[in-house]
Amino acid sequence: MSWLLPSALGVGAAALIGLVAVHFIARSRPIAEPLPTARFIPERAIRARTRSYALSDIVLLLLRALAIVAICAAVAAPAFSTTHGRTARVIVADRSRDVASIGEVRDSVRALARAGDVIVPLDSAASRRVRATDSLVQSDARGSLSAGFAEAMRAGAELARANDSLELIVVSPFAREEIDHATARIRAAWPGRVRLVRVAPRPIASAGTVPRVEIRADTNDAVAAGLALAGFVSTDGAATVRVVRDKLTTADSAWATASGHVLVHWPVAEADADWPTRRTIDAIGGVVSTSGVLVARLPRLWVLNGTAIARWADGEIAAMERPTGGGCIRHVGVLIDESSDVTLRPPFRDFARGLLAPCGGDATFAVADSTTLISLGGAGPLAPAAQLRDDGTRSRWTPWLLAFGALVLIAELAVRRGPARTT
Amino acid sequence: MTITRYGALLDAVRGVRWPARHAVSSAVVGAHHSRTRGTSAEFTEYRLYRQGDDPRRLDWRLLARSDRAYIRLANDRAVLPTMILLDTSASMAYPILSRLKWIHAQNLSVGLSAVAHAEGDPVGVALHDARGHVRVLPPRTRRSVVDEIARVVDAADPDGLEPLAPVLAALRAPRIVIVTDMLGDSDDMLRAARVHIVGGGEVHLAHVVAEEELEPPRRTLLAADPELPGVQRLLADASRRDYQNAFGEWRAEIARLWRAAGAAYTEVVTDEPASHAVRRIAGGVGVAS
Repeated sequence: MSWLLPSALGVGAAALIGLVAVHFIARSRPIAEPLPTARFIPERAIRARTRSYALSDIVLLLLRALAIVAICAAVAAPAFSTTHGRTARVIVADRSRDVASIGEVRDSVRALARAGDVIVPLDSAASRRVRATDSLVQSDARGSLSAGFAEAMRAGAELARANDSLELIVVSPFAREEIDHATARIRAAWPGRVRLVRVAPRPIASAGTVPRVEIRADTNDAVAAGLALAGFVSTDGAATVRVVRDKLTTADSAWATASGHVLVHWPVAEADADWPTRRTIDAIGGVVSTSGVLVARLPRLWVLNGTAIARWADGEIAAMERPTGGGCIRHVGVLIDESSDVTLRPPFRDFARGLLAPCGGDATFAVADSTTLISLGGAGPLAPAAQLRDDGTRSRWTPWLLAFGALVLIAELAVRRGPARTT
Repeated sequence: MTITRYGALLDAVRGVRWPARHAVSSAVVGAHHSRTRGTSAEFTEYRLYRQGDDPRRLDWRLLARSDRAYIRLANDRAVLPTMILLDTSASMAYPILSRLKWIHAQNLSVGLSAVAHAEGDPVGVALHDARGHVRVLPPRTRRSVVDEIARVVDAADPDGLEPLAPVLAALRAPRIVIVTDMLGDSDDMLRAARVHIVGGGEVHLAHVVAEEELEPPRRTLLAADPELPGVQRLLADASRRDYQNAFGEWRAEIARLWRAAGAAYTEVVTDEPASHAVRRIAGGVGVAS
């Protein structure tokens, strides 16, 4: 037997002690008896100790104690489980693009899974569950451990009905891009430790990898010239990166939702973007991307908020990324003077490589640090099933105990209203 | 029959005399000395004939021997109508279980009625009935009057708070016996009794006291006055002596005041047999027959 709210038992015990104390204090007031000549007794405070305890007082005490026990037990909500000792597992299997080999994930899950366990495939969402490990197929979507933990909670609530405790196992490379701000909080909602099984992450793209870019710009555009000079422009129509120097179109946005597509909106002038503008326009001497630094006198027009992929020299965001479906859209607020030759120099090539990198950036494929992994794993026992059950806030015994407590209170009232009662 | 409950008591008080405390003024011939001097056979003295005297009362033999006109004087006898005023207040129902005080008061009422009836006096009873109404059985001399009084007394229930003084003031019988514990309107009763005594009547007060009132239980108790709901006092070892002193002083003061007013005061404790109490009440100071 377990209790859904054990603290109520402590409160009940304190109430019992208080009841006994108050009962005997109250009994120190003598029982009133008629005496026609009471007026001749000297008047004084009616407080005195008496050593006479009637049987009915003990009955009253017992009835009141019984009522307190019943009500506190009802609040504590006893739960009788017939699943003592059973442990089930929820296995979150990462099949996102962050995994180097889905076969390794399958092998790990196969080694861990037993009959009755639930396997939750994980990529950008985790809403489907599979029974067989062979049905795990790699996805191009970015992984999200938050989604995996959330689905694990739902699966755990279902398993909790027939099990005593639950173990959560996450098979993943634990790439940085899979962890967001909500991950820690959702993980904390799982009431037990998490077993982390690491698989090989997707290899980090090397610095020499050349992005395949298509550009929509004027023929004399400086950025287009710089990217072409750097050798990023693709001519075979297989580009995964599109640089747009004028306004974005609906077709651009639709193209960006495809898996692995990167749409870089790098406006030529203020009119080509509808981003919020700064209160005062200033100029700054440099901008830094994940791959290089561009030193130049550059005007600063817009205020960008989001996941930064480039920052001004003072730390303000110069370019940001927004995920859209399987791809992403990047806004680059770095205005290049058309008469400048800054795009023709090597630093521009290094700077631009970071802006053209796959969604999430090359660096996000890196594995999360050990501190993050330790906090994800946690410590302590397995998750108790009682804390994951959907009906965890109810006990079928509660209404009966409350009804019993009410009956006892009615009986107490009847006894208290008996003849010659003053307590 | 109700009277059978009082059979032993009536046997015990048979033969008890209850003389009037003073000469009575009544035209009906009875057992008590009358204030008037009449023509009875009980000669007292001679007195010179005065104009207006009834010539039939002249002692003709003396006139013939001494040639002086004397009339014969004799003491008359008269009846003394008696009313029993019984207190039915809630304080009489004590102790709660045995109600000894009330039973004792009933016995006194019936016993005194029987004694008065045996003297040939009309006897009646007045009390508040169970509904709080004044029930008066006027003085009668018929044979069944004691039985009737016993019925009225048995039908009463001591749970009221009605005052006795108005009833006492309304009674017109020359002899009134008040059977009460004096825990009600004692001051008003004393005033009404004084009026009655000054008017030539006589008043007997049978002050009924329960033994438990004199010696309350030794344990600590919270005493509640049944006639004063707001009064609750703690009776403990420390206050027991003070209570007994105060109760004793009050009883002594009651006795002093009523005796000073000319009433016959008798304190009756419930541990005393009712027949003894009746003898003490009836056998008080009276006029020698």
